[in-house]
Amino acid sequence: MKPAAFEYAAPSSLQEATKILADYNGEAKILAGGQSLVPMLNFRLLKPQILVDINRIPNLDYIAEHNGGVRIGALTRHYALETSPVIAARFPVISEAMRHVAHLAIRNRGTLGGSLSHADPAAELALMAILLDARLTAASASGTRIIEAKDFFVGALSNALEESEILREVEFPGFPLFTGWGFEEFAQRLGDFAVAAAAATLTMSGARCTQCRIAVIGGETVVRAVNAEALLTSSSLDDKTITAAAKAAAQATPMNSDLRASSDLRAHLVEALTRRALEAAKHRALEKQQ
Amino acid sequence: MSVEVRPKLIGARIKRVEDPRLLTGQGSFVDDRQPARMLHVAFRRSDHSHARITNIEPSAAAKMPGVFGVFTAADMNLMAKPVRATSRSKDYHATEMHALAKDKVRYVGEPVVAVLAESRYLAEDALEAIDIEFDSLPTVIDPEEAMKSGAPLLHEEAGSNVLLTRQFARGDADGELLTAPVRVKGRFRFGRKTPLAIENRTYLAEYDAGRQALTLYSSTQVPGILRDALVDILDISSHQLRVVAPDVGGGFGGKSSLYPEEIVVCALAKRFGRPVKFVSDRLEDLATTSQGFDEILDAEMGFDKDGNILAYRAEVIGDVGAYSIYPWTAALEPVQVISFLPGPYKIPNYRGRVRAVATSKSPTGPYRGVGRPISTFVTERLIDMGARRLNMDPAELRLRNFVGPKEFPYKTCSGIVWDQSSFTECLERACKEIGYDAFLKEQAGARASGRWLGVGFASYAELTGIGSRISAAPGMPINTGTELSTVKIDSTGSVTAIFGIASHGQGLETTLAQVVADELGARMEDVRVIQGDSAAVAHSTGTYASRSAVLAGGAATLAAKAVREKIIRVSSHLLEAAPADIRVEHGTVFVTGTDRKMTFKELARAVYSEMGRVPLDIREDLEATKQYDPVFGTTTSATHVAIVEIDAKTFRVKVLRYQVVEDCGKMINPLIVDGQVHGGVAQGIGAALLEKIIYDDKGQLLTASLVDYLVPSAAEIPPMKVSHIETRSPSTVGGFRGMGEGGTIGAPGAIANAVSNALSHLGIEITELPITPEQLFRAVRQSTK
Repeated sequence: MKPAAFEYAAPSSLQEATKILADYNGEAKILAGGQSLVPMLNFRLLKPQILVDINRIPNLDYIAEHNGGVRIGALTRHYALETSPVIAARFPVISEAMRHVAHLAIRNRGTLGGSLSHADPAAELALMAILLDARLTAASASGTRIIEAKDFFVGALSNALEESEILREVEFPGFPLFTGWGFEEFAQRLGDFAVAAAAATLTMSGARCTQCRIAVIGGETVVRAVNAEALLTSSSLDDKTITAAAKAAAQATPMNSDLRASSDLRAHLVEALTRRALEAAKHRALEKQQ
Repeated sequence: MSVEVRPKLIGARIKRVEDPRLLTGQGSFVDDRQPARMLHVAFRRSDHSHARITNIEPSAAAKMPGVFGVFTAADMNLMAKPVRATSRSKDYHATEMHALAKDKVRYVGEPVVAVLAESRYLAEDALEAIDIEFDSLPTVIDPEEAMKSGAPLLHEEAGSNVLLTRQFARGDADGELLTAPVRVKGRFRFGRKTPLAIENRTYLAEYDAGRQALTLYSSTQVPGILRDALVDILDISSHQLRVVAPDVGGGFGGKSSLYPEEIVVCALAKRFGRPVKFVSDRLEDLATTSQGFDEILDAEMGFDKDGNILAYRAEVIGDVGAYSIYPWTAALEPVQVISFLPGPYKIPNYRGRVRAVATSKSPTGPYRGVGRPISTFVTERLIDMGARRLNMDPAELRLRNFVGPKEFPYKTCSGIVWDQSSFTECLERACKEIGYDAFLKEQAGARASGRWLGVGFASYAELTGIGSRISAAPGMPINTGTELSTVKIDSTGSVTAIFGIASHGQGLETTLAQVVADELGARMEDVRVIQGDSAAVAHSTGTYASRSAVLAGGAATLAAKAVREKIIRVSSHLLEAAPADIRVEHGTVFVTGTDRKMTFKELARAVYSEMGRVPLDIREDLEATKQYDPVFGTTTSATHVAIVEIDAKTFRVKVLRYQVVEDCGKMINPLIVDGQVHGGVAQGIGAALLEKIIYDDKGQLLTASLVDYLVPSAAEIPPMKVSHIETRSPSTVGGFRGMGEGGTIGAPGAIANAVSNALSHLGIEITELPITPEQLFRAVRQSTK
C-alpha cells in the first residue's frame, strides 16, 4: 500500500498552482488535507503525475462574514468550521453537521474545499452546500467563476470543476430571519460517512412556512427534496403535511444499495430522518419568533 | 516481631510497567528495527478466489530498478518445505500449503509471487509489472454447497471439502426431543470476523552468515511454535534459528499461527545474507490474517414443563476457509463449538455434530474466545427463547439449570470437567448489580411510550489454562500444556525471570513480576521479566488460549519458590540462623527477632564473588528452572448483562449499560483483569453489532478496508462495570484461572438476548450476528405486516 512515484510541487500562489494544473493537463492532483487523496494514492487507485500541494498558498484559510452570510476559504480546516463562533451564530446547522464529519484527527487536517471537491455523495459538507444554496468560486489561470452548489456535484466523486480549476472559496448566503434548522444522520458508528441523512431549514412567518429547504443523503449525489419542499411551503407545518413531506423526501432520488443498507432501508431512513429534521426545524423556527 | 503478611503484590492494582514505554513511543516493535542493508519483500497476491495458475511472467519486474529478485513457488520450494497441519483426529484431512501458491490459488489474497527490493515502494512498483495468467475454477463459497458430493474440490487430494467431522453425544437427544413438552430451535449464524490487531503482521529475518544463524523478529504470539516449525520447514538445526517476539501490538489469535510471509522472509534472508522485512498493510491484514467465527448452527433445545432442560442437539457447519491452518488445524474453532455448547448447564441428553468445510476464502484460525462466543450465543439464545415459551424469567430459568455450587467437579455431556466455580453466584450478583427488577419496571414504562429497551444475559463457563492432558486443538501433535520459567538472582543481586510466553498487550511483564516478587521476597522494581524469545527457554509455545497467567504464573511460582529455598539455605549459613528463622522480604533477608539482615546485593556478592564465604559443599547458584503443567486446566465463569435501546425508526442499537460479573480465581492484578474484560467486551460488541467479513459469490473480499469492515470505536462502547467473585482455583498453582478471552465470549450472546428482549413485543428472535440495521428493518417490517 505505497503510492506510485509522483512529482511534487508546493506553489506559493494560486496563480502558480493553476498554471501547474494547466501545464499538466489533467495529470495533476491537488493536495489539501489529503484525507481522501492520500489513501487513494496508497491504494494506487490514483496515479497522478504530480501533486500540487496548496497548503503554502496564503489567504485560503478564513471564515469571513459577508452580507449576512459567510465566505469561507477553501483551505479552512474542518476543525476551524466546527469551532467557529461565526458559524455557530450564523449557521448552527453547519456546526451540528461538523460533529459528524469523521474524527478529530481527520477534522484537524481535512479542508472544506477538499471535501466538496472530492464530492462524496455521503459527505456532510456536500449536504450543507446543497441545503444552504452555497456558491462556489473556482479559480483557474484565466480567472474565476461562480458555480452554484446544485450544479457542482455532477455525480458520485465527480464535480463540475475543470481540470485546470481550483476551488478557492465557498459562500453560504445568509439565513433569512425566523429560520429554524434540523440535521439528522444515520451511520452505524460516530464519524462514518452517512448511510442516510437529512437536513432542513424552515422559515416561518407567523404560523405559516414561507420557505423550506430539505436536502438528503442516500442517493448518487446529495439532492434537494423539491417535492417535499413544495408540500411544506405555505403550509402551517401540521403533522399530516410533515408526514407527507417526509415520505416525499424519501422519493427525492433513487437510493443507493450497498453493504451498509439496501435502497429500501435508505428510503425508510431518509423518511424517518427528514421527519425528525423537520420537527426540529419547526421547533427552532417557532422558538425564534417568540 | 513483625507478622509476615503474604501475598502483598499478588492481588494489587499495580499500573502496568510496560505502559510508560508503550505510551511514550519507546516501545520496540518489529518495524522499529532498521538494520543496515535491509531489503523489503512485497507480495503479488491472488485476485482470484479459485483458479489454476497457468503462467507467471516475472522477467519485466525482475529488471526494474532496485529489484533484487522475483520468486515463485518453483523458487521457494527449493528453499522451504510446504506446511501441513497434522492431527491424530479421525476423519480429518490436512491440507498442503506452500509459502507461495503452487499450481492453484484458493483465496483472494493468497501470496503467489514475492518481490525482493531495496524499498517497499520499488517492490510494489515491480508487483504491477508481473503478469500472471489464471484459469478460473468454480468458486467454493457457500459451505453447504461445498459439502455436497460433486461440489468442486478445493483440495483434490483430500477428496472432499469436508476437512473434519466430529460428534459428541450423551444420552438420547434425538429421542428426547421428540417428546419434550417445550422445544425451541433455530438456525443460527455467526458472521466471519477478523482479529484486527492495531499492529499489522510484521516480520524481519536477519541472517548472520558467519555463524550461519537466522533470527526472525516476528509480531507473533507464538515464538516457540514458529521456531519448532521453521527449523523443519527450512531444514536447518534449531541452534541456527531464534524467533523473537518483541513488543507486539495485539494479536487476538490472529498472530498465533504460522504464516507464509514468515517462511519467505527467512528463506530470502538466508539466501541473500541480508536482512529481509515484510510489513503487512491493512489491506493485506484484512485479506490474509486468519479470520474466525464463521459458523451455521441448527440447534434445538427441549425442556420439561417446569423448565428443566431435557435435551440439546446441534448440527454445526464451520466455514474454515482455504487451508487447515498450522498448527491449530481447521478443527480448532468448530470442535470447540460442540465442546462448549452445553455451557454451565446440566444437560442429560446431548448430541453435537460438526463438519468443518473448506471454502475459497481466507483461512480461519484462532480468534479470541475460540468457539465459545458462538456456543454461548446459541445456547443463551435458546435459553431465552425457552424462557419466553415457558413464561419464565430468563434468569430464573438459568439458575434452575446451572450446575449448582455443590455439584463441582462436574463432567459435562461433551466431556469437559468444570472445577469448583461460580455459575450461580455470578448470575445472582449480576442481577443485583444491574438492578434487574428495577429495570423491568423501567422497561414496561418505556415500552408504553414507544421506546424499545431490552435486557439480556449471557452466562458461560470456559476452560482456561489447559494442561498437557488436553490439547488446545484436537489431536494436534504439539504440546500446549506446559510452560517453563527460569528465575535467577545474578551477581549484582538483581532478579531476572525468563519465560517463553509472549505478551502482546496482556501486561504479563507486570503480572509475572508481581508473582515472582511475592514468591521470592523481592521488590517489584528489582524483577526484570524476559519473554517472547524462543532462545530464552528450552520449550514454550506462547501466549494464547487464556493460558499465560495460569501456566507462566504457575511456573514462575515454582521457580521463585525454589530460588527462595536456596536463599534461605545460604543465608542460614551466612547469618548463622536456623532456616525457620529466616525471612525474605523486599529484596532483603532478615533473621526473625534480631537486627541481622542482608540485602540481595550483599547475598549475591557473598555467593558469587566473595569466594570463601560460602563453602564449596553448600554453595549453590541462585537460580532455578521449573516447568508447570496444570494437567487438565481450570474453569472460569461469568455472567454478562447488557441493557440496550433500539431506535424504533432507524433501528440503531445503543448499548446503554453493561455489567460483567466474573470469577477468574485469584486475581494477580485486578486492574489488568478489568482492562482485559473491557477490551474483550468491546470486541464482543463488535461481533454482535458491527463486524463482518463479507465475500461476494465470486469470492471477492468486499470488506477490504476499515471503511467497510466496521470495528467499534470508543464512541460505540458503553460504560462498563466489572465485578469479581474470587474463588481460588482448586486445580492450579496460585489458584489462578485464565481470563483473557472471556469478554468476547459473553458479549455477543448478552447483546443478542437484549435486542431480542427489546423486540419481544414483536415476537422477533435474533438468530444472526452481527445484528445490522438492515436485519432489524426487515424483521420488524415482516413482523408488522
